[in-house]
Amino acid sequence: MKKTVFAALLMLAAATAFGAEKRWVVSEGTTLKSEQSISAANLADLPVGAELTLVEDGGRWLKVQTADGKEGWVYAGRVADAAPVAEVGGGDGLLGGTMQQSQINTAKADSARSIRGLSPETAAYAKQHGTPEALKKELDRILARKVSDKEVKTFLKEGKIGEYAR
Amino acid sequence: MKRLIVSLAAFSCLAALPAHAGWQDKLNNLMNPESKEGKILSGATQVLSSSQEMTYQTECTVGESLALDSMQRFGKPVNNEALQKYVNLVGNAVARNSRRSTIPYRFVVLDSPVQNAFAAPGGIVFISRGLLNLLDNEAELAAVLAHEVGHVAEKHALKSIRRAQFLQGAASITAATMKGSKGQQFESMIGDMQSTLFDKGLDQGMEFEADQAALETTYRTGYDPSAMTTVLEKLKRQEATATKNGSWFSTHPPLDERLVRVAAGLKKYPDRASLAKLPTRFAKFAKGGKASKTTK
Repeated sequence: MKKTVFAALLMLAAATAFGAEKRWVVSEGTTLKSEQSISAANLADLPVGAELTLVEDGGRWLKVQTADGKEGWVYAGRVADAAPVAEVGGGDGLLGGTMQQSQINTAKADSARSIRGLSPETAAYAKQHGTPEALKKELDRILARKVSDKEVKTFLKEGKIGEYAR
Repeated sequence: MKRLIVSLAAFSCLAALPAHAGWQDKLNNLMNPESKEGKILSGATQVLSSSQEMTYQTECTVGESLALDSMQRFGKPVNNEALQKYVNLVGNAVARNSRRSTIPYRFVVLDSPVQNAFAAPGGIVFISRGLLNLLDNEAELAAVLAHEVGHVAEKHALKSIRRAQFLQGAASITAATMKGSKGQQFESMIGDMQSTLFDKGLDQGMEFEADQAALETTYRTGYDPSAMTTVLEKLKRQEATATKNGSWFSTHPPLDERLVRVAAGLKKYPDRASLAKLPTRFAKFAKGGKASKTTK
């Protein structure tokens, strides 16, 4: 752990010394594009947490290089200048496992939740607390109201927002 | 890192021992929980375990429990499925561009006249009908929701409560342990969180941080981030007459100070005026199709 932190600091110092600016993918469904346009060809899918090196700042679109050397354009809104928050997936998940693994755990936890409705833990809290049945049903409806990636994309497209702006 | 701190704690225990004591005996005593040295070490490790992270699953249980209590206090969700879906689309659009984009978020309009918005840990975000009615376009709604997503992303509510006792030992709760002493600790943690979110308010620094996160997140999504300014200005005009108890007025820092900091933060986004505001789509869902007000 100590070694990892030290190595990370060294790498950071080296990157700064060579002036390489870093960006991290923070949005799901991010793709590397051949040109500065949503309709350009996809060169690669970029997972959340992927580290990119900035090659050229083109405003709303950035030219970047991936860790495996691929170069292309990414919409500026999908990356940030700090790494995203990592999830604590399991019982002993603190700093354990890869970020992607913990995201898989997160997804699993959520789909399990939607199948069951109110989680047994929350149901136990509600019982102990004398929460009215009607409110438990309202929470069930809230949790069941899911929005897919596709729906969000269509919504942004219809509003001509972000990557879909003209 | 943990091992390093334990070693340091052990070393400081040793350093405090009288010079005449055999250090080897004292080292052996560290292993005995009843000895003076053992108690000091056990105290040090308890501090360590209380700073450990809560699992996402337990964070969700905290959030869901708080969601139940907040509906009891502020009212049920507004019975308008199209509006709830619309608010979920705006909220998810910004949440997917936040620093914590991979957890699922839910957004709920509560049928309450009190102008308020708040976030339960794990990603359930509430906005009241009172606050929604004050807004005039989608960018303003996105700004309020992105502010709340900022609190979820940085786990502000969790960081604000006395959770050390709950986190000692297993940092999670199950349906079985809810009945025992762990359950009591859990309940007191939820009670603490309610008084923080609804009465005392979060730390002012956290609110300023959430405002800046909202600017960045709305901008990166493609909404005009200066919508945060117009929301705060509208709230300011309401301040004299609005219900304060449990609202954004009583639980958030003074509006003037927020406005100054937001104005400073907006300088990072010089091309903001060209970004989306969408008053018409907002009016269709949030105002029953009526044209939005431009001035108040």
